[in-house]
Amino acid sequence: MAQIEVVGVSKTYRNHVAVHALTDVNLTIAKGELVAAVGPSGSGKTTLLNLIGAIDRPDSGVIRIAGLEITSAPAGQLADFRLQHLGFVFQSFNLFPVLSVLENLEFVPALRGTPKRERVQRAERLLADVGMTDLRDKRPDELSGGQQQRVAVLRAILSEPDVVLADEPTANLDSENAALLLDMMERLNRERAITFLFSTHDPAVMSRARRLIRLRDGRIMGDEARES
Amino acid sequence: MLFWQMAWRNVWRYRRRSVLTVLTIALGLSFDILMRGIGDGFHEQMVDNSVRAGIGHIEIHRSGYQRDPALLKTLPDLPLLERLVPRTPHLRGYSFRVLGDGLASTAENSTGVRIIGIVPGAERSVTTIDRAVIAGEFLDDRMSRPALIGERLSQSLGAQLNDKIVLMVQAADGSMGAQLFRVAGIFRSGSPDLDRSVVYLLRRDAQALLSLGDGVSEAALLLDSSQMVDDARRFLTGRLAGAPVEVLPWYVVQPFLRQFIELDDDFFYIIVLILFIVISVGILNTVMMSVFERVREFGVMMALGTRPRQVVRLVMQESAVLALLGAVLGAGLGSASTMLFAYTGIDLSGYSAGASALGLTTTVSYPELTARNLISSDLSVVLVVLLVALYPAVKAAGLRPVEAIRHV
Repeated sequence: MAQIEVVGVSKTYRNHVAVHALTDVNLTIAKGELVAAVGPSGSGKTTLLNLIGAIDRPDSGVIRIAGLEITSAPAGQLADFRLQHLGFVFQSFNLFPVLSVLENLEFVPALRGTPKRERVQRAERLLADVGMTDLRDKRPDELSGGQQQRVAVLRAILSEPDVVLADEPTANLDSENAALLLDMMERLNRERAITFLFSTHDPAVMSRARRLIRLRDGRIMGDEARES
Repeated sequence: MLFWQMAWRNVWRYRRRSVLTVLTIALGLSFDILMRGIGDGFHEQMVDNSVRAGIGHIEIHRSGYQRDPALLKTLPDLPLLERLVPRTPHLRGYSFRVLGDGLASTAENSTGVRIIGIVPGAERSVTTIDRAVIAGEFLDDRMSRPALIGERLSQSLGAQLNDKIVLMVQAADGSMGAQLFRVAGIFRSGSPDLDRSVVYLLRRDAQALLSLGDGVSEAALLLDSSQMVDDARRFLTGRLAGAPVEVLPWYVVQPFLRQFIELDDDFFYIIVLILFIVISVGILNTVMMSVFERVREFGVMMALGTRPRQVVRLVMQESAVLALLGAVLGAGLGSASTMLFAYTGIDLSGYSAGASALGLTTTVSYPELTARNLISSDLSVVLVVLLVALYPAVKAAGLRPVEAIRHV
């Protein structure tokens, strides 16, 4: 069964001129896939992630995540949907600066109402699993960009969402840190069967994906499976 | 709990701005507490002066006396009242008096006067008139027909100490009564009315002059404080139910005093309102800036699944932290400044003429610090801060995550 199902989705931004960000996009992604949406700037990668991430709405078409249709859900339900089913990794890390690494990891489970002791245990286990226990009490401004982005990935997967969406996750990282991050994402994807969909135009990142969806001018121009 | 941690740390993220905001709240609040204290102290003193000048906290008359103070309307069932009044809760003193009007004359002049017949020991327990004697002495049961007159009355009659004055009255039986009295003392109360028109006599002399027999016109009761009036009044009215008497608190006996206090309070509330508006603008500025500087953060929070009402809660919690810190600091500063002035007093001697017109016979005012003022000031300021913060909080909650995340 498809984890993500995008059917006939279009999105146009209207400011001074109309920009067709996505036009009649159809796409299915199965559980546990590691997919990269690739293409040049303005090709519609971020728009696709925003729509699948339920933080924006398409003008037409339907999107289903884990069998739930999100395009017609009221705005109030979308927050709950994101909380229960999705994890996000942003280009600029976007950890909460006033919280420590451990507290940043606790944030989503806390929103879900997970008891304090349980969420701390889970966060500590995950940190230990990826060898980052020593960063536990550090604030984001005490971490390197690579460390911050790895914490952001951990934050996204700690509550074991159905899908993790990562928008240009390596854009602000040097090649060494980008490689470390991708190693971690690959490992988490393999071990936990979490579906990853990330956007990129970085060839190093593309090489790690097991499926590439090529976008240009808001349309899917290619969809190819790759050997990992 | 995580949200409270975030709120606390977000407040200290912009340390200087938060400190300034807390200080604004604290200074505004301390000013509010001090002004309430000064107002209450001033009002309590006005009431106390009036009460101690003669009316007492509570007066008991025959029914209808307040509206039409006729001489014949003496207190009914005096023995019952003499047994009941001493048992009144919070009672500090009481005096059964005779009241009448008459004409005071000397060889030189004559003028209309208010005659108050008293038992000296009892009167001392209610009024401070014995301490206002500036020449001669206060009345004494052992004296023979003594009179205690005000300084201005003494001047208008041309009557000095030990001079004789004649009091003429229309007695209760309709006859004209006249008696010779000797000026045993002259008082200066600070109240122009009292000093100009009152003659104190021994109660037995007044009863004889007015042909009242054993009748008395009123009982005046002094309580521990004006706050106890309603309690004491309930006690008396409960036990005098059905009796043809009226038990009147000071604010019914002297309604203008209460009206003045209410008017003064209204002016004070206008000042406090202006003060709170100024504080509100400062708070609004702080919270708005704090929200606009974190638009992307709110976007991320919402993308991760934070509900709009949780965003509102976070902003409100941050504002609550500011408000509570300001409230604690303000309560401390306000209490300290009020207690300082309560100790040193505020010198009103420069305004003695005006103060006297307002019923103040002392020239130093002492602010009062009360739990009621502290709590109501604190609650008001916290409420105002939270109300003001609601707007930026709702604005933050209304952000669209997709736009907020892109915010620079």
